[in-house]
Amino acid sequence: MVSLDHLTKNFGAQIAVDALSFDIPAGQIVGFLGPNGAGKSTTLKMLTGMLAPTSGRATVCGFDLQRDPIEVKRRVGFVPESGAVFESLSGLEYLEMVAALYGIEPNAARDRIAQFIAFFDLSFATLTDKLLGAYSKGMRRKVVITAALLHNPPVVFFDEPLDGLDANAAVGFKTLIQTLAREGKTIVYSSHILDVVERVCDRVLIIDKGKLLLDGKPDELVAAHSSGTLEKLFTQLTGGGELERRAEDFAKTFRP
Amino acid sequence: MMTPAPTTSPPPLPAAAAPLDKTLRRLFLTLFLRGRSARGLKRATAPKSVGQKLALALFFYALFGCMALAFVHQPVFALAVYLHAMTFLFLGMFVASSAGEVLFNKEEADILLHRPIQPRILLWAKIRVLVEVSLWLAGALNLVGLFVGIAAPQGNGLFPLAHALSTTLEALFCTGCVVLTYQLCLRWFGRSRLEGLMTTVQVLVSVAVVLGSQILPQIVLRSGKYVPFGKASWQIALLPPAWFAGFDDALAGTMAPGSWLLAACAILATGLVLWSAFGKLAGDYETGLQRLGENVSPRVPPRRGRRWMDVFLGLPPLRWWLRDPVSRAAFRLTAAYLLRDRDVKLRIYPGMAPILVLPVVFMIQDQGRGGTGSNGFGVAFASAYLGMVPLFALNLLQYSQQWQASDIFRAAPLWGPAALCHGARRAVLCFLTFPIVVIFALLIWLTHHESTQLLLLLPGLIALPVFALVPNLGGKALPLSLPTEEAKAAGRGLNMIGGMFVAMAVSGVGVWSWSGGWFWWFSAGEAILAVGVYVMLRRSLARARWSALE
Repeated sequence: MVSLDHLTKNFGAQIAVDALSFDIPAGQIVGFLGPNGAGKSTTLKMLTGMLAPTSGRATVCGFDLQRDPIEVKRRVGFVPESGAVFESLSGLEYLEMVAALYGIEPNAARDRIAQFIAFFDLSFATLTDKLLGAYSKGMRRKVVITAALLHNPPVVFFDEPLDGLDANAAVGFKTLIQTLAREGKTIVYSSHILDVVERVCDRVLIIDKGKLLLDGKPDELVAAHSSGTLEKLFTQLTGGGELERRAEDFAKTFRP
Repeated sequence: MMTPAPTTSPPPLPAAAAPLDKTLRRLFLTLFLRGRSARGLKRATAPKSVGQKLALALFFYALFGCMALAFVHQPVFALAVYLHAMTFLFLGMFVASSAGEVLFNKEEADILLHRPIQPRILLWAKIRVLVEVSLWLAGALNLVGLFVGIAAPQGNGLFPLAHALSTTLEALFCTGCVVLTYQLCLRWFGRSRLEGLMTTVQVLVSVAVVLGSQILPQIVLRSGKYVPFGKASWQIALLPPAWFAGFDDALAGTMAPGSWLLAACAILATGLVLWSAFGKLAGDYETGLQRLGENVSPRVPPRRGRRWMDVFLGLPPLRWWLRDPVSRAAFRLTAAYLLRDRDVKLRIYPGMAPILVLPVVFMIQDQGRGGTGSNGFGVAFASAYLGMVPLFALNLLQYSQQWQASDIFRAAPLWGPAALCHGARRAVLCFLTFPIVVIFALLIWLTHHESTQLLLLLPGLIALPVFALVPNLGGKALPLSLPTEEAKAAGRGLNMIGGMFVAMAVSGVGVWSWSGGWFWWFSAGEAILAVGVYVMLRRSLARARWSALE
């Protein structure tokens, strides 16, 4: 469903993504992990057609990213980390605009939006009366997730999707993506909340400095490295082993 | 790695929904009218308030357009040159200041770039909105002129039609030029230099537009009634407003061959610019959007020694003036935005250009009358404008795309905005007002060849501290604290006109006292009054507390 072949992105002399290659079949939830600046968001932006790769190639649903970017974009949904929206539109105006960009007929869009409103426990009055600038972070995130799924894409990329969601919404969201995967959708889930990744994802990819470090099922990887948890494995791989001691030392500097 | 065959069902048919270009056009028009950010706004109130502001702005444009009545006895070409120069000024300023935000909005990348939209359609939707709003402004500005043209000597009933056509062409030309400039920057320069370079180019284009539109009417009016386009005055063909004026004169004026040539220039230049901007270089647009979305900062070479700002702030006058740490921090913040921030630079520097051009023109006119024969009007005019510099700059410095970050001011343990306002005011005085005082003084000395005329700057200099405090009255004009959309409010223009009226009155009395021989008495009186008002304003600012957030 998603296939990368030596996908590379350079920003001048800096290599952000270094010849990444992997395949993701349909119906899989893949946790895409890495420390800050590892190249996760850059990879996701390339796979959604937002950034042009420097070299290598990628296909989504069989369409080449560089040859058929519009066909790829029709088939992907993306929740960016920024959660950016047009703040001066109401929630409904925003979602209707997004639906129109995918060619969804207005009545069908309304029905679909109503389903999401019910799922996310949003009130229709809020969606129609308030501009997005006045929404709480969590409500805005729900609108962004709705906007990514409105056109029923076969591949969805989530970049920190739980940021701002309350505990109930987060539980609902995790169940939603697991159900979507069972129905054949491919989910790429980038997050720093590793226990959620461990519970939700079928497979994890860990990258650092643009390179793929590990690829496998979370429990198998944890067992193979005898690390106990995915979090410990992650810190081992990405040079965070000393973090706890450093944090304790730093906390001591706050003593009066 | 094998490429699998396309596996998913085809996407929904676009035919059932609204066409993509229509959806995008509606989106960008809504964003333009409402602004791109809103906090605590209800949908029912936001469009109304912005709509009212826009209506008021159009009313002021139409009011300004009444100046065309002064050309009622001038030939069609002179009227048309005036109208097109003014239109060129206002449209050029509008497009230059709006285009950056409309064409290359960073946040928009995360919202739209992963949607199935062709870059060309995205670009056209934005351009249509820019041209549409430009035409509203141009329509309001030219409304009176349309009818003055019918009554002008050699004018006829075709003038409104001809002028409407030429104004539309001019709007397309202005928009095309700005878009083309952006695209050429994208093509020729690397990503790391793109943003800074585009800002500089945009500022220069805006300043050039202002200068060009001010100079052309001067040439036409000073030369008598009509500057024909011919061997002796071929230079006029270098100024774009003259091409569009030639279009009017060719269709509804003298119909002289020179005017037809200028009209041909207008059509050819507009066609060429549109073809280059939207045909040949449209493909670069997506590249540009992607480049702006790359959030990698260029590597800064290792610094040797202290930063120049630290050195500057450590020098005696500033070290004393900025001894309060909060004012010092606000000074640094304001200086950084004045020197680095694209949005602030694009609002302030082109906006100040027209303020500075008129005094220069009047000083040069003074010189034309001879240094000793000069009545000092040009210098007095420059003196009046000195106060406008901080008034204007502090007014515009309130607006920022990162206005929500100003919440940190309220979160800090401060009773009110006074210290922050003082820091911002001092930065404006240091980085904008002082250099302009020096430039004006040099110009006066160069154009009048005597230092006594410099004394006529005194009334403006005495009033300067008061003018610099006026925007902060009641704790207002907190730097970088309001959304940029509010800068469009017509009420702000009214404040400026009020300020200008007072500044002119002070300088006018100064000239009168100069010719009457009681200049020093006047200056002493003005100084006493200025000190009194200054102390009152400082106290008012010190008492100001934080206003409630919406």
